[in-house]
Amino acid sequence: MPSTRRNEADLSARPGAHEAHAARVAQRRRRDAVGCVVPVLGFASLLSLVMALSPDRPDGPRYEGAGDPTPRNGGTFVFHHESNVRSLDPQVAYDELSTMAIRLVFDGLLDYDHEGQLVPSLAMAVPEPREEGKVFRFRLRRGVRFHALPGVPEGRELTAEDVRFTMERLLRKETGSPGAGFYEAIEGAVAFREGEAAAIAGLRVLDRYTVEFRLTEPDQSFLYVMAMPFAYPVARETFAHFGSEADQHPAGTGPFVFEGWERGVRLTFRRNERYWRDHVGPDRMVYLENIQRHLAGLRFMNGQIDAVHRQTLDHWALFSEAERWANTRLTFPRASIWGVLMNHEMPPFDDVHFRRAVSFAIDREGWAQARGHLIQPTGQPLPPAITGYDPELPSRQFYDLDRAKEEMALAGYPDGYPREIEYWSSDGDIARVYAELLQQDLARIGVRIRIRQVSFAVFLEQTGKPKTVELLMGGWNIDYPDPSSFLEPLFHSKNHRPANSSNRAHYQSAELDDLLDRARQETNRERRAAMYREASEFLAKDVAWAFAYLPLTQEVWQPYVMNYRPHPIWAEDYRDVWLDLPKRRVARSLLGAGTTTPAAFLPLARLRGTR
Amino acid sequence: MSAYIARRLMSAFLVLMAVITLVFILMTQIGDPAAATLGNRANEDTVREFNARYGLDRPLGAQFLGYLGVIACQRPSSPVYDDDPATNGYCGLLQGDFGESFLHNAPVADVILRRLPRTLLLGALALLFELAIGLGFGVFAALRRNRWQDTSIMSTAYLGQSLPSYVTGPIFLSYAAFLFGLFPVGGYGSTPLEHLQHAVLPAFTLAILGASTYARVTRSEMLDALQSDYVRTAKAKGLGRSRVLSHALRNALLPVVTLAGLSLRLLVGGAIITEQIYGWPGMGKLAVESIVNVDAPTVMGVVFFVALAVQLGNLLADLAVAALDPRVRLAG
Amino acid sequence: MDPRAWTRFRKNKGAFLGLALVALATLSAVAGPSLAPHDPNEQFRDTLIDGRGLPKGPLAVPDHLLGADTLGRDELSRLLHGGAVTMLVAFLATALAVSLGTLIGVTSGFFRGALDATFMRLVDLLLSLPFLLLAIAIKRVVADPGLEVLVLILALLSWTTLARVVRAKTLQVRELEYVLAARALGMSNARILLRHVLPNVAGPIIVLGTTLVAQLILFESALSFLGLGVEPPNASWGSMLREGSELIDSAPRLLLYPAAFIVMTVFGFNLLGEGLRDAFDPKE
Repeated sequence: MPSTRRNEADLSARPGAHEAHAARVAQRRRRDAVGCVVPVLGFASLLSLVMALSPDRPDGPRYEGAGDPTPRNGGTFVFHHESNVRSLDPQVAYDELSTMAIRLVFDGLLDYDHEGQLVPSLAMAVPEPREEGKVFRFRLRRGVRFHALPGVPEGRELTAEDVRFTMERLLRKETGSPGAGFYEAIEGAVAFREGEAAAIAGLRVLDRYTVEFRLTEPDQSFLYVMAMPFAYPVARETFAHFGSEADQHPAGTGPFVFEGWERGVRLTFRRNERYWRDHVGPDRMVYLENIQRHLAGLRFMNGQIDAVHRQTLDHWALFSEAERWANTRLTFPRASIWGVLMNHEMPPFDDVHFRRAVSFAIDREGWAQARGHLIQPTGQPLPPAITGYDPELPSRQFYDLDRAKEEMALAGYPDGYPREIEYWSSDGDIARVYAELLQQDLARIGVRIRIRQVSFAVFLEQTGKPKTVELLMGGWNIDYPDPSSFLEPLFHSKNHRPANSSNRAHYQSAELDDLLDRARQETNRERRAAMYREASEFLAKDVAWAFAYLPLTQEVWQPYVMNYRPHPIWAEDYRDVWLDLPKRRVARSLLGAGTTTPAAFLPLARLRGTR
Repeated sequence: MSAYIARRLMSAFLVLMAVITLVFILMTQIGDPAAATLGNRANEDTVREFNARYGLDRPLGAQFLGYLGVIACQRPSSPVYDDDPATNGYCGLLQGDFGESFLHNAPVADVILRRLPRTLLLGALALLFELAIGLGFGVFAALRRNRWQDTSIMSTAYLGQSLPSYVTGPIFLSYAAFLFGLFPVGGYGSTPLEHLQHAVLPAFTLAILGASTYARVTRSEMLDALQSDYVRTAKAKGLGRSRVLSHALRNALLPVVTLAGLSLRLLVGGAIITEQIYGWPGMGKLAVESIVNVDAPTVMGVVFFVALAVQLGNLLADLAVAALDPRVRLAG
Repeated sequence: MDPRAWTRFRKNKGAFLGLALVALATLSAVAGPSLAPHDPNEQFRDTLIDGRGLPKGPLAVPDHLLGADTLGRDELSRLLHGGAVTMLVAFLATALAVSLGTLIGVTSGFFRGALDATFMRLVDLLLSLPFLLLAIAIKRVVADPGLEVLVLILALLSWTTLARVVRAKTLQVRELEYVLAARALGMSNARILLRHVLPNVAGPIIVLGTTLVAQLILFESALSFLGLGVEPPNASWGSMLREGSELIDSAPRLLLYPAAFIVMTVFGFNLLGEGLRDAFDPKE
């Protein structure tokens, strides 16, 4: 209960209180009005005094590195996210936050390098497609050991059987994996999933270290799909040992061993000393959950968090202007897309002119200005760096108020749309800001919207149903670096369902479906790229969405955090960092999570540290 | 006396039942837990699996009775659940089972018990500040009545009652903690000493309102007591000033005790806004996160604890007053 | 009502200060929107936001006395409009809560019986609930974000204390000799209620109502601070406070302006309420 109603504990309801008043009143009458003004003035002047005397914000990191360039182990690395980590079960988790943790504990058969290219990880090599792209044979690295955790035998080696177990677990209905659909190209996967077969026909273990996948038809995205965390091998013993609580005890082969998780508060990991490849890193990793971005920024500047990836505009302005942060900050476009979704099944958005009017009315540059240029305006469905993106796409969308008004007239509403349209967005200040930006833009063409902010759960539930929500803001993050990862879930009619559609604009076009299906199977690189570009052009022209912007990731990390490079696929991937800790911080991190300063009560020492 | 307590406990029980029913109904209206928990890419299979696991695929009535524990266990995720209905155990409130948190994938009782000590620490420290500041200034103001000290203290108390934590919290956090570096910047640390250090500033933020209330109540009760017959008698008998004061103080404390008992709700419910501002992982923050994520069992658990604390607090306050004041008798 | 109340009230300087603050706040709420120099919801994206996305300060652009809010809207205009919203919500909710509380308190106290027991259990129930949590939950259930919903929630959660006090007072009045006499003379219940009971409970109602306004301003701001207040793009002091608090490190004014309005208004209502309590106190 908030403090706000505390004084309601009213004594007048208690017999005897009235007598108490009698004595009070006599004195208070003579009370001087000055006495009432004094605290107000006092408080105000105290506040101004504090503000006047307060030190400036630190214009650089509080702690510098020791300056030793040798990569080495040691220290505690602390990072955070604003929300809850959902799951540590690689087959089940399907969000960015969980992936940040899962990638510390688990390895995939394949991974991506910092250029976004597939590279081998637990596999010895990226498999070459055989039999016209229908068969892929993975050879596993030898001597890879699972973490020695409760239930897992000491020194347990990763084998092809683990890959089989993982794939079967992933496809089994009881697991409830949201990613199962990605793997239906494997022969017999659907039959196994429906319980019609005891094993996956297209998955064969050839020997202890070799496993082969056979697909029903050539699929260009299969290797990408095998690099998704859904396919990260897990130790089967934990599931036998812990049952339904296995996701609290993840045992993988990765560089960090899971230590503990207080849900909603923090996760801890320790370095895997028997990791299969050369690796140095912090002794411990602490992942704090539910830290708001303003608080996180303050703690980062105080040296209590080692990297932050979402800041308030205010903090980012400070980081991006301060000379001393210059070497440890970066912005780059995320492989994701955001836009305004209009329900194609509901008027007035079933009219392409109306949709075009909306798209022309969105002042994308103005949005970027209001958001401190931390977004990049766009007008097409694919982000740069993805095959099929074309900066000169003929039908790319842009802001043009006059044309917006023309399109309104063509749609039959030269004087504006008569009805107020309900616009849905999820919770939060940032969602609210975009809603307000859109509201002002649409008002200029006579379209009035009413902003309805609902919890993320309700938002997903309602927008996933056909003919329910007219207008909304939506976005999509990359699953794997291929155009199909964007265009199929967002625009293919197979993802338009009676519930839980990922196609939340409820867009349906047989022509587009056909194009996407053909592109998926096309083995020729150039032809494939041309087909996706054609799909892009089609979607932009038909205003499937009013594409609006790509968010820029803004990352800052402490100068003693070494070997950190933002990753094009994985958000905030910290598995390869090591710490060049100054002596003070080493000592501190031994105390615990490194989330506090024992010297907190010695202000002078702290202030000196600031300067 | 025991009849009185029994009657009070009975009414507390009824209130708790009503609270649980109300919150249950409210939570079923708030959104789809499966969509909230499974996130962005829930599909039909995962949703079905989720609902089956937590017994959400049954009619609401059955869910509610199962939650209470008056019908056999309806929740396959519970350890006592058995597929054969004849041998099902019970897994509800009556058996002391608060259900399982969707979001935390753990028993609600565990989740709450983990957060509870932190909220208690924050609340206890806040109460300590409130009493120290409130009683101190209240008594002082009473002794200096109608002088400038009294006037300023009392009007400061009015101002304190008008200063909400969402105004003071960000200011304290930004200035006292961050810029001046006097306190840790949010969070709760990892050792008992650190917990205490981290609790100081949020506890003080919380305490402003309470301290103001206590100061006002203490002052008026103290004035009352000082003018009462027995204090006059004591003075007339030539008792020392300090002994007279201690007599008066003892009497003046009664309503303060009542107030403190009422504030048990704060202790348990956590200060939602203050915990939010300082990133203090207590019950208040848990409650808000659970509502946002449609984690009904956790919300119901938290509300149940808060309501229980209110009922207990009221009862304890009445008993304490009876113990302190021989004139009060509790009617059966 | 006690005729000497006004005399007592007049001598209380604190209460006068309170009255002045309340009058000021009310005036700004009534006249504010028409005094506002700009449309409070218009974003001046090009002129009032700098290249880093931060709002410009007071008089950075001559036309904008207090500068911009986080989205380049005129801060002064938003404060004036926001005050109107905050005060309107608080006053309406108080009026509703007071009516409800009086109705329930008087009927419970006067007629006793099963009705009384039911109402008082209801009060116990409501007082056992964490209000803010409940408000958050209800706000999410009722999808319509309009003001009327906010007013209803606030009112439904805050009539309880008043009902209790009114009931206690009614119980006292009911047993007064002249009321018993009136009843013996066959005066109807309605007349007794109107002639004797209501005038007697009016004092506590006015006092509690005044402090309730203060509490509801705080409550509304708390909800807004949690992002569950008025419907965007409209402003209330609480929502401005929330939006401003993120920029407290570089632009503390965005927090301090609405905070000052909230604190001074609440302070005014609290002082006034206390002054009225003294004035109406029959034990004087």
